[in-house]
Amino acid sequence: MRDLLELSVSAAASGCIYALVALAYLLMIRPTGVINFAVGEWAMVGAFGGFLLLSKYEWPYALGMAAVLGFMLLVGWITERIAVRPLVERGAPLLAAILALLGMLVVFREGISLGFGPDPHQVPEPVSFEYLKLFVIGATLVVFAAVWLFFERTLWGKAFEAVALNRRAAALMGIDLRRVTVASFAGGAAAAGLAGLLVAPNTSAHYLMGVPLAIQGFTALVIGGVGRVEGALLGGLLVAFAEQLTVRYAPLPSGYAQGVPLLLLMLFLLVRPTGLLRARA
Amino acid sequence: MRSALGWVAAAVLLSAVAFFLSGYYNDVYRKLLLWIALALSYNFLFGISGQVAFSHFAFYGIGAYAVVIFLFQLGMPLPLAILAGVLVCSAIALIVAIPSTRLEGFYLALATLALAQLFIVVLNEGGAVTGGTGGLVNYRLPAIFGVYITGPWYTAVIVILVLGTYALLRHLDRSWFGRACRAVRDNPEAAAAMGVNVARTKVIAFTLTSVLAGIAGMVYAFVDNTVNPPIFGLENAFLLLFMVIIGGSGRHAGAIVGAVLLYLLPFVLSPLIGHHHALVFGALMVVVILLQPRGLIGLYDRYPRGQKAH
Amino acid sequence: MRKWLAALLAAVSASVVAQETIKIGVITDKVGPAKPYSEPTLEGIQFGANEINAAGGVLGRKIELLIEDDQGRPDISAAMARKLVDAGAVFILSITLTPATQQQQNVTLEAKTPQMTPMNSGDTLTTQLQNPYFWQTGPLGSIQIATLLSHARSKQLKRVALITDNSDLGQLLAKFFRAGLEKSGIQVVAEEVVPRGATTAEPQMQKVRAANPEAMFMAGVLTPENVLILRAYRQMALKFPIHSSYNLSVPQYMSVAKGLLNGITFVDAYDPEKPEVKKFEADYRKATGKLPYNIHGYGYDGIKMVAEAIKRAGSTDKEKIRAAMQSLEFSGVMGAKGMKYVFPDGKRAGFDPNGMVVRVYEGDKQGRVVHVGQK
Repeated sequence: MRDLLELSVSAAASGCIYALVALAYLLMIRPTGVINFAVGEWAMVGAFGGFLLLSKYEWPYALGMAAVLGFMLLVGWITERIAVRPLVERGAPLLAAILALLGMLVVFREGISLGFGPDPHQVPEPVSFEYLKLFVIGATLVVFAAVWLFFERTLWGKAFEAVALNRRAAALMGIDLRRVTVASFAGGAAAAGLAGLLVAPNTSAHYLMGVPLAIQGFTALVIGGVGRVEGALLGGLLVAFAEQLTVRYAPLPSGYAQGVPLLLLMLFLLVRPTGLLRARA
Repeated sequence: MRSALGWVAAAVLLSAVAFFLSGYYNDVYRKLLLWIALALSYNFLFGISGQVAFSHFAFYGIGAYAVVIFLFQLGMPLPLAILAGVLVCSAIALIVAIPSTRLEGFYLALATLALAQLFIVVLNEGGAVTGGTGGLVNYRLPAIFGVYITGPWYTAVIVILVLGTYALLRHLDRSWFGRACRAVRDNPEAAAAMGVNVARTKVIAFTLTSVLAGIAGMVYAFVDNTVNPPIFGLENAFLLLFMVIIGGSGRHAGAIVGAVLLYLLPFVLSPLIGHHHALVFGALMVVVILLQPRGLIGLYDRYPRGQKAH
Repeated sequence: MRKWLAALLAAVSASVVAQETIKIGVITDKVGPAKPYSEPTLEGIQFGANEINAAGGVLGRKIELLIEDDQGRPDISAAMARKLVDAGAVFILSITLTPATQQQQNVTLEAKTPQMTPMNSGDTLTTQLQNPYFWQTGPLGSIQIATLLSHARSKQLKRVALITDNSDLGQLLAKFFRAGLEKSGIQVVAEEVVPRGATTAEPQMQKVRAANPEAMFMAGVLTPENVLILRAYRQMALKFPIHSSYNLSVPQYMSVAKGLLNGITFVDAYDPEKPEVKKFEADYRKATGKLPYNIHGYGYDGIKMVAEAIKRAGSTDKEKIRAAMQSLEFSGVMGAKGMKYVFPDGKRAGFDPNGMVVRVYEGDKQGRVVHVGQK
């Protein structure tokens, strides 16, 4: 029983990390349809931002966190300007933007490896370690609540939804598509950066951390469904619980338990490609 | 008749180069030729058929391992070992392609990504059959009609592989099958309406190109007389994708340009910028997609030559 | 015109100097998975070469290092070996992935060029291919495990847990660990894997705790995942001792696993109390301003051994160097006190089976030696 309780907290914290990455995907997929696999590298950039400001220059946590998130908005904005907008304006197929972002993934990763070297770096925790998981869960819930309110209650959020439903109609209604797209990338980068910053006290910041996060987040996204914000949270939690409960309780050799999320992903793709939560009409 | 002569001349010329190269340049040349063969077949799969797959390099590895295992663990004669290797590649390709090409979007990418990862796991866990993490060494190409093919003569074998691959793919590209593939890539609904069997076209293209990659792998197995898991790592699948996109996807010449450039670039760059050529690849990929979606070969097309333009 | 002449003159004199050097090739990995190990090894080699040259070189000639990057790709590695042979290298030091070193051997065997890896620990490098031009002086994986096990035997363990990651090397080491443990009659009551990219190791450590072992062996080689294991171990306030593979000897742990390390034992080939090590650390620090660590020592020993072999051969004839290398006895920085690298009876793996040590973390510092060899 003690194990199950401990594990629930641990899985919830891991699930929140996946959920933030899934949210990053979702913010960009909804209005543009672009799957941006570089979200994992964005999380890595966030983690290294934490290392630089919090470990190296020893800024107070809140200030460092704000600076990292601000920087991530900038990173998302620049990525969109460089690798997405020119393609959208040319009317290039979606695949072109996805591939260009794969190129950006390599640029981010190698840039970090160039600047910080191959070794992992320690990133401090915001609160003492016993409470870190609760902090992660709390911060994630705040973010999801804010994003949900944004979409449900603000005019800007409605504009996003309109674009997600029908780009052309939204443009005719006078919504600035370019502004929505760039905002979605900036928001996505901030969500991913936050995931990186929160996971780094555990995993350390290292230049190969991005791809596993991108895969876990993508799995969470597919399971939760791209239609609704809550789907990302649900998917993240489901993936983490499935992962950790299998490792702990399934009578499988430990090596095989890693295959469970992949199996879930395949299952959902085949049986329910829309994910658990469908978009509202 | 003239075109046959042309092919022979190309084979002789490309092989002759090997006899004038030192050990190092000969080795670089051989591996470059193998990358060109792979890029050509991957271009048919990705560029012409429009299938985003990450298994191509794994099939290269499956071919290489299969021929070595059939020859030296099971003691088969060479022709039989090659045939068995082809059969293994086709069987695996069909198993992957038949379910995943029926679905839209990124399914094939995900399934082939899983296959490529699984392949490496099998190699590492394969015990005595695959040699585990150390791979298989200490073998050599059996004599063919009593002759051991070594040194620059083996480069001639690779040249024949590249030209054979190119000839076959060019022929296919110009046949009804190539048109069907392009139609399926550009608009599956329209292709189906025109009477093209979309799923079957995809499966055939996937299986065929995968077998070609497997055959290239069989040839590779005797270049260094070593096969081991890191050679066939997943990052190579992405390198192939980069080669085809940067060179110009959908064009044979583009695949060749991309393979030559991305294979040789690290050798040239490493004295200049140290080891960060991967950064240059990523940036190059973004720049090409943004500025020259037809790839570098598109630059050549734009160059005014007073002839017909596309 | 005068500028041109000067340049020409400079080029000619440079080539005269170049002719006089003894060329030693180094194949390293600057981008791939071996990079964290290859970089310090290369620094050790460069420091050793500078030291040798400052003392007048070998056979009155300076050593010139020809350094090639194989991008962590075995096929490129073999091409680089050919390049070095073409460039006139009389010896090649391989400080890259084990399979890459293996693939280079086809070239050195064919070109009859001496080759040595001072750092690879794969057991199969000298057994898969009978290449009389190849030596290995890195401590073999089997020696690491035997040393760690002999330490465990001295503790009379009966029931232990084994934990690793899903990297190739981590899996391989775990397999060796398991076989060795079972051969010693020690029962493995839990065997866990923390996959690359995991965000926690708590479920795995819960399973270990439920199995109630007397000790836990760590075979993983991925730093972030090992830190996850240690963090879960501390958070769950577990008390059984941890014995780790050599991976925990990498000094990076002292900063990324700060506060988690006290009391953990690990196998190493480096004894800070050894006089040669003290001198090496002092000299290195004086020359570069940085403190070296165990991995630098592998490279340093490697270049020193090669220089010694060339000296004894009395020429740069590759066949003579081969003979000199095979009969070499050399004591260097690495290994327990008094350890010698030897290659008796045509054996080409030269690290003494009793040359490894078990050390313990004292606070966050890599501390004293608590066990030596396999006795």
